[in-house]
Amino acid sequence: MRDALLRSASVVALLLLWEVCARAHLVSDFLLPSFSVSLARLYHDIVAGDALLGIGLTLYRAFTGFALAAVGGVAIGILIARVPLMRWFLDPLVSVGLPMPKIAFLPIFVLWFGVFDEAKILMVAFSAIFPVIVAAAAAADGVDRTLLWSAQSLGAGRQALLWQIVLRAALPQIFTGLQVAMPIALIVAIIAEMQMGGEGLGGAIMQSMRFADSPGVFAGILAIAVVGAALVRGLEVLRRRLLVWHPEGER
Amino acid sequence: MASSGISFREVSHTYRPPRGQPVLALDRVSLEVEDGEFVALLGPSGCGKSTLLYLLGGFLPVESGSIAVAGKPVVAPGPDRGIVFQNFALYPWKTVKNNILYGLNKRPLPRAVRQERARELIELVHLTGFEDSYPAQLSGGMKQRVAIARTLATDPAILLMDEPFGALDAQTRALMHEELLAIIGRSPKTVVFVTHDVREAVYLADRVAVMSARPGRIKEIVDTRFGGDKTAVTTTPEFAETVEHLWRLVRDEAILAQGGRVG
Amino acid sequence: MRAVALRYAPLLLLAALWEAAPRLGLVDAETLPPLSAVARALVGLAADGSLALNGWSSLRNLAAGLGLGIAVGAALGLTMAWYRPMEIVFNPLVRILYPLPRSALIPVMILWFGLGAKSKIAAVFLGSLLPVVLGAFNGARGVEPVLIWSALAAGTSRRAALWEVVLPAAMPEILAGIRNALALSFILLVASEFLIGQRGMGYLISFLGEGGNYDGMFAGVLVVSLVGFLADRLYLGLMGWALRWRE
Repeated sequence: MRDALLRSASVVALLLLWEVCARAHLVSDFLLPSFSVSLARLYHDIVAGDALLGIGLTLYRAFTGFALAAVGGVAIGILIARVPLMRWFLDPLVSVGLPMPKIAFLPIFVLWFGVFDEAKILMVAFSAIFPVIVAAAAAADGVDRTLLWSAQSLGAGRQALLWQIVLRAALPQIFTGLQVAMPIALIVAIIAEMQMGGEGLGGAIMQSMRFADSPGVFAGILAIAVVGAALVRGLEVLRRRLLVWHPEGER
Repeated sequence: MASSGISFREVSHTYRPPRGQPVLALDRVSLEVEDGEFVALLGPSGCGKSTLLYLLGGFLPVESGSIAVAGKPVVAPGPDRGIVFQNFALYPWKTVKNNILYGLNKRPLPRAVRQERARELIELVHLTGFEDSYPAQLSGGMKQRVAIARTLATDPAILLMDEPFGALDAQTRALMHEELLAIIGRSPKTVVFVTHDVREAVYLADRVAVMSARPGRIKEIVDTRFGGDKTAVTTTPEFAETVEHLWRLVRDEAILAQGGRVG
Repeated sequence: MRAVALRYAPLLLLAALWEAAPRLGLVDAETLPPLSAVARALVGLAADGSLALNGWSSLRNLAAGLGLGIAVGAALGLTMAWYRPMEIVFNPLVRILYPLPRSALIPVMILWFGLGAKSKIAAVFLGSLLPVVLGAFNGARGVEPVLIWSALAAGTSRRAALWEVVLPAAMPEILAGIRNALALSFILLVASEFLIGQRGMGYLISFLGEGGNYDGMFAGVLVVSLVGFLADRLYLGLMGWALRWRE
């Protein structure tokens, strides 16, 4: 509790600093509109404009891509861990793919899927799937052998084994992979929108920038900051709920 | 070399954890250590013996009471009080030679002299041939020998040792006892040695100060200077009696520390 | 040697597939040109100098932004861990930047620095800063106190101990943070080159794509991906060498 208070206090302090610097006109209003101006602008865009629609669209793309990456990533990861042929074939692909700047593939996705939602969602999925695969494979690999053996001696079949034991035991690590993938999904969705245009947070910010509308740009940044923080926090809460049984200890 | 008598006067120390209540670790400890003496601080876990050592070393601030070395109060760590830790505290990114040179490099000596001194120290602790090894490649006993050599490099008048052989197995520990005595024999130092091992304390030290359970006080000081051959001393009845006596003292304090009653 | 070949054989398989599929008509050769055509385009780009020009621009901006990020990040993280006032001052900044996707700040960089190299360098800098700060901070915090005490007892001043003990002891975490920063800096470089244009591999890729030269576009993507992968591998080797004292 005390930590949370300290954390919010330091953020508030920084926002105050922003406001003070902007009001003192340390730099021009164009370069740094004050926090209050940006916040007011965001509020205005939400209430009177269609900012919520834009935010919703960005979230829709990020989430859909993330969901694809999550399901696909876990499936592929577990496949790699349990099927030797798949491991041989996919392991180098994944280990080469992981450090590649996958954002460079954006024009390829545009070529293949056009400039609308499909391209953005698939781009997100492509970028986010790698950390999920790595986490799922490592998790499935690391499942305690004694867990598996005791289940087998109790008569569990292969399918049951997979679902009940492997998935459950691997859940903490898989979830960590998902927590890494979520911010990636958001970043890629935003970059894709910035590049390809269309409604959405990314597109809106670029539009504001083109019109030299700096309060609009900063309003957009605020929106992204809030959305990003909310997503990270949401995943943390979800983790604690799902993994109640896991002795991860208190934070 | 200046006289290096150590004087603890009414030293108290309160441990303040980041969360929770402050705890009195030491309660008005007074002790005089003569120049060249080997004193062991003996006591159960948590009795504050290490804390007393760290205060003497200058790593913790002396808030209550006073600690003086050769008449001057202790305010900060310094090369006059070399320290050896239980977990060796070697710099893992430096080779054996560079670990030892680290202390030497602080002194205004010409390079050739420093290199030579390092070589001497390596030889002193029987590690010739391992100059370029990294700590990760050494055994526990070897690591502790490097730690001792590194501390000796600054030629301290006082040697502070915090359960230095606690992490070693019994055979290595016995060997290290002999090495330590040989080293001190060659260049006498004042030694303050913290341990919870009664036999070790009685064997190595001139005097043993037994400390009580927390808050630490000096319970009793026993003279453990036995005449005659050091190697045969462990079989004498005097030795056994002293060990028995000290062991009982420590045991009572250990029981108290665990919250039990002394029977 | 044989083990390495066996391990990376699937990549050759993929390459073969890439060549075969468009040629056999399994996929439209327009959307996925065969590997040989891409290779030819790559040679063409090298020959007419566009690879060198844009590659050099990207490399320069990446190095500048990353170098700055590492230097500032390490200094910040270490001093934050060592001096409490530093931590109090900079902590809120780190807390706010952490969940914010740094690529979202690219438009702000454009506002501040215009459409040029400065904005790209600033974007790369922002991306690489935080992982290094966190690595340095956590690494410094995790140093065993007895290591520092040993140094103090040898006569080292508190200030000198930061350089002589804390920095080397924190190296494993700092180097891990730099590895992260390396990956992020590639992403931010390409993204900023997409958005800012003018020069650079990202610009080249989108320029070729818009011009319909898909062979060239794929060639560009291939180059960038390979460089990203190689950079990571090379860095791992460097890291292994620097940390060779570990068990």
